[in-house]
Amino acid sequence: MRRVISTTTLKRLMPVLAMAALLALASACDTDTPQNTFDTKGPVAEKQAEIFYISMWPALAIMILVLGGIVLLCLRFRERDPSFVPKQTHGNTKLELAWTIAPAILLLAVGIPMVATIYDLGREPADDALRIDVVGQRYSWSFSYPDYPDADGNPLTISSLQGPAHIPVDREVAFHLQSIDVIHSFWVPKLGGKLDVIPGEENVLWLEASEAETFSGQCAEYCGLEHATMYLQLVAQPEDEFDAWVEEALAD
Amino acid sequence: MSSIAVPRKSPLAEALSNARHAAENRSSIWSWIGTVDHKRIGVLYGISAFIFFVLGGIEALLIRTQLIVPDSEFLNPDQFNRLFTMHGTTMVFLVVMPMSSAFFNLMIPLMIGARDVAFPRLNAFSYWTFLAGAIFLNASFFTGDILNGDLGAPDGGWFGYAPLNLEQYTPGHGMDFWMLGIQILGVASLAGGFNFIVTILNMRAPGMTLFRMPVFVWMTLVTSFLIIFAMPVIAVALFELTFDRLFDANFFNAEAGGNPLLWQHMFWLFGHPEVYILILPAFGIISDIIPTFSRKPLFGYPFVVFSGIAIGFMSWGVWVHHMYTTGLGTIANSAFGISTILIAVPTGVKIFNWMGTLWGGSIRLRAPMMFAIGTVAMFTIGGLSGVTHSMVPSDYQQQDSYYVVAHFHYVLFGGAIFALFGGIYYWFPKFVGRYMNEPLGQVHFWLTLIGFNLTFFPMHVSGLLGMPRRIYTYNSDMGWDLWNLMSSLGAFIIAISVLIFIINFLFSLRRGKEAGADPWDGRTLEWSIPSPPPEYNFREIPTVHARDEFWHQKYKEDETGAVTPVLAGGSGEDEHHEESAHALGIHMPSPSYMPLIVSLGFPFIATGLIYDYALIPVGAALIVIGLYGWAMEPATEEE
Amino acid sequence: MSHAGTAHLETSTGISNKKLLMWLFLASDCLFFGSFIAAYLLYRDRSIVGPYPEDLFDIPFTSVSAFVLLMSSVSMVLALAAIQKGNVRGLRIWLLTTAVLGTLFVAGQAYEFTEFYHEGLHLDTNLFGTTFYVLTGFHGAHVTIGILILLSLFVYSLRGGIQQKDSENIEIAGLYWHFVDIVWIVIFTLIYLVQP
Repeated sequence: MRRVISTTTLKRLMPVLAMAALLALASACDTDTPQNTFDTKGPVAEKQAEIFYISMWPALAIMILVLGGIVLLCLRFRERDPSFVPKQTHGNTKLELAWTIAPAILLLAVGIPMVATIYDLGREPADDALRIDVVGQRYSWSFSYPDYPDADGNPLTISSLQGPAHIPVDREVAFHLQSIDVIHSFWVPKLGGKLDVIPGEENVLWLEASEAETFSGQCAEYCGLEHATMYLQLVAQPEDEFDAWVEEALAD
Repeated sequence: MSSIAVPRKSPLAEALSNARHAAENRSSIWSWIGTVDHKRIGVLYGISAFIFFVLGGIEALLIRTQLIVPDSEFLNPDQFNRLFTMHGTTMVFLVVMPMSSAFFNLMIPLMIGARDVAFPRLNAFSYWTFLAGAIFLNASFFTGDILNGDLGAPDGGWFGYAPLNLEQYTPGHGMDFWMLGIQILGVASLAGGFNFIVTILNMRAPGMTLFRMPVFVWMTLVTSFLIIFAMPVIAVALFELTFDRLFDANFFNAEAGGNPLLWQHMFWLFGHPEVYILILPAFGIISDIIPTFSRKPLFGYPFVVFSGIAIGFMSWGVWVHHMYTTGLGTIANSAFGISTILIAVPTGVKIFNWMGTLWGGSIRLRAPMMFAIGTVAMFTIGGLSGVTHSMVPSDYQQQDSYYVVAHFHYVLFGGAIFALFGGIYYWFPKFVGRYMNEPLGQVHFWLTLIGFNLTFFPMHVSGLLGMPRRIYTYNSDMGWDLWNLMSSLGAFIIAISVLIFIINFLFSLRRGKEAGADPWDGRTLEWSIPSPPPEYNFREIPTVHARDEFWHQKYKEDETGAVTPVLAGGSGEDEHHEESAHALGIHMPSPSYMPLIVSLGFPFIATGLIYDYALIPVGAALIVIGLYGWAMEPATEEE
Repeated sequence: MSHAGTAHLETSTGISNKKLLMWLFLASDCLFFGSFIAAYLLYRDRSIVGPYPEDLFDIPFTSVSAFVLLMSSVSMVLALAAIQKGNVRGLRIWLLTTAVLGTLFVAGQAYEFTEFYHEGLHLDTNLFGTTFYVLTGFHGAHVTIGILILLSLFVYSLRGGIQQKDSENIEIAGLYWHFVDIVWIVIFTLIYLVQP
């Protein structure tokens, strides 16, 4: 009952799969799409991508080794004589210790930069950071700039339904996130990872754009019927252009 | 209290007694409804779970059809949201858990050398309660105007986050059905969990020490402990939600000072052990398949067992990794980041030991083995992607994106579902007496493998390209079109592979090649008895002398490790003429309808809570009457 | 002759199936109460409007009802001791005593709930109302189920159904009863006595 077809198919298919996987990931790194997490445009996203690479490359290597190993073992030790019963080995303590300790060390090793980055990104925003109060509500975002009040003393406020919010380039922006209904998640992938917007709490996320560009983001926590269209856009521009925008917006 | 006072010869008692006798005839439909035989309950569990697998699969196909192109209008947002909620809830609670229960039921008594589980009627209760909860949950579809495309199903996502799960945000009865349905399913799981712990600890054949138990038995034990500790936590969360939705309590009401994160903490304190409740039985199954088809004992048995126990313990200390982006702070995120990456260690130990088992073996790549190896390979991918987002900062990007969807499908489909299919191919001959068709099995495997990877591998990419999960639509300028097209095509390949499996299963039931008691040269006790096993499993309770007891009855090793078959013995029982338990003087537990009556009470109470309190006393009465009848009727018919 | 799935078989651990089942159930129930208690403690002092615990708690009254429940554990012990010696009459007396003490406790709780309700604490008033009623209510439900079990055993013993050899059934019911009692001690201490 030898299944020649399947073993050879297995042999062919596994490397193909592995290659396809690598190619897919590689192509993902290159494409210029609006919410590509590899196409980082700010220090926060950059550091997060670095941490991802630190774990992704060893993970891919281990994946290829394990999957390749499984295929090789199946080929090398496939049944040739149905009456043959191999030697009954029960285990090997040294091997067990090795494959317990080695991965633990490897994992703790990637854990060190991980913790460092958690603290790095978890710090308070810089003193000169621009504060924007973000309110999430089903299914839009409102952005208020408490530093820029209008004639009545109300902060400049813009809703994601009206148009993009603007931010300065090369300056930290502290988003103070609040929700007036359910949990949302504020996510602008090219600038950095997400932070949840929770009713009854205020979470603060700081991001910084290193290039003048229009960034897309959207709600990342399922929040109801139109969760899929709870979009937002941030226009990053040089400080003088940003100031001009503020003035114009206040005049409206 | 009149039910206690029923005298032996009252008409009611007589009718009950007659009904029980009707159930003794093992071909009547009553014999299935009143059954307390673990094998029959296992079959019922398996068939039910498979029907829900098809249902959840259809939901998945609808979701993937919607997403096959950008700006699709195949489904409206409301339908999409309800379908993905039901897809997740179904696959977790109505497919993988009960399918694992099917294997617990079918295999545990056979593997430990017992005639049944410790509490046969509790076992029947567990099944009927599961079925009641599952039907109740799916009944929610019909609370909407379904003919006009208005599904009434829940729409809060399978983890139903607060405060979205509150009535003001998810009006209608869908979420009511969800919370009460899962509550009922929890009762079923708890009953099963208690039963299997007691069975495994107490019902082992003489000589079957803990460290001679097959790994599947060990993993069932660990899983059962996880169930009895995790289910109360979700029960409390669901009770709190019930009080909030139905009685205006404030548990998750932010306006009254309530904290919506309380739900997440409780849900994931349950939810992460739940992940291992789903995967550990699968690990157990393949830990028995791989040695059989390598013709070698499991490599590093104690390490595989202890790593399973370690995973069980560690699963209680990692729940915050579902909540990295909720803003719990650097200390919590660092601590849980480290604990999460470390849970990869015992998982890796298992993978290496399975590879060690292959090493030096004589590997037969039959369908069960293909699925077992597929499990190891696909779970490895899922485990590794798990490591990449246990890394907190990169998870800030990946959380709630398709990358996570890819990850948990590699773990739960590539891990659990692959292994469960392997288990079906492996043990089918034991319970049917026939093999499943091998070429069709190979086609099923390869189509599943290809379809699975085509569906879920591209999701890594779409996730990293910034596609959030649970969105019903996307624009074509996002760069996600190709990846979604691939995923959707893959889903249809999986559907075809499942069709082939169904055809194979139905064909093999009647026409499959006949298999003897020991078709795979098995190593554990279930292969020492006839296929299908008699009602009482073992003519005589075996005495166990070694791990892989049955293998040692068939083979002997000399000092050099050379193996020779023992000519006499082996699958000798096969030739015995099958006699009834009665003829052999074996007392088997009698059929009982009481578990079913008690189980029926729960959906009455749940429906009553939603629609009309008058139904609650009806349900309560069913439970009380059933329980008193249960307590009063003899478990075993006396002579 | 061998039985499957009955208690007559000698078990691998030496503990009977039924008793092991009860121990496992109680272990599981710890998580159940633990979760409710955790929710209560988490929400302590977070109520936005009153009434607050200090406005309502009547510590002397609740201490008495806690004492009553504690005493019921003593009578439960005596019930078990009686049947282990084959004293069926003693069993009946102490079972009934336990059930009556348990009923007194539940009645006290009903009185307390009514009082609190009249003083304006409803389930939906504030976080205190929500967490307090649900936690203590579930405990009361446990006690009520215990009373039903005790009364069932009492009626069963009147019909001659419980003899010295069946003492394990009483022991198992006792395990449940003592557990519910201990849970109350924890709740009473954490919620009534330890005020921040």
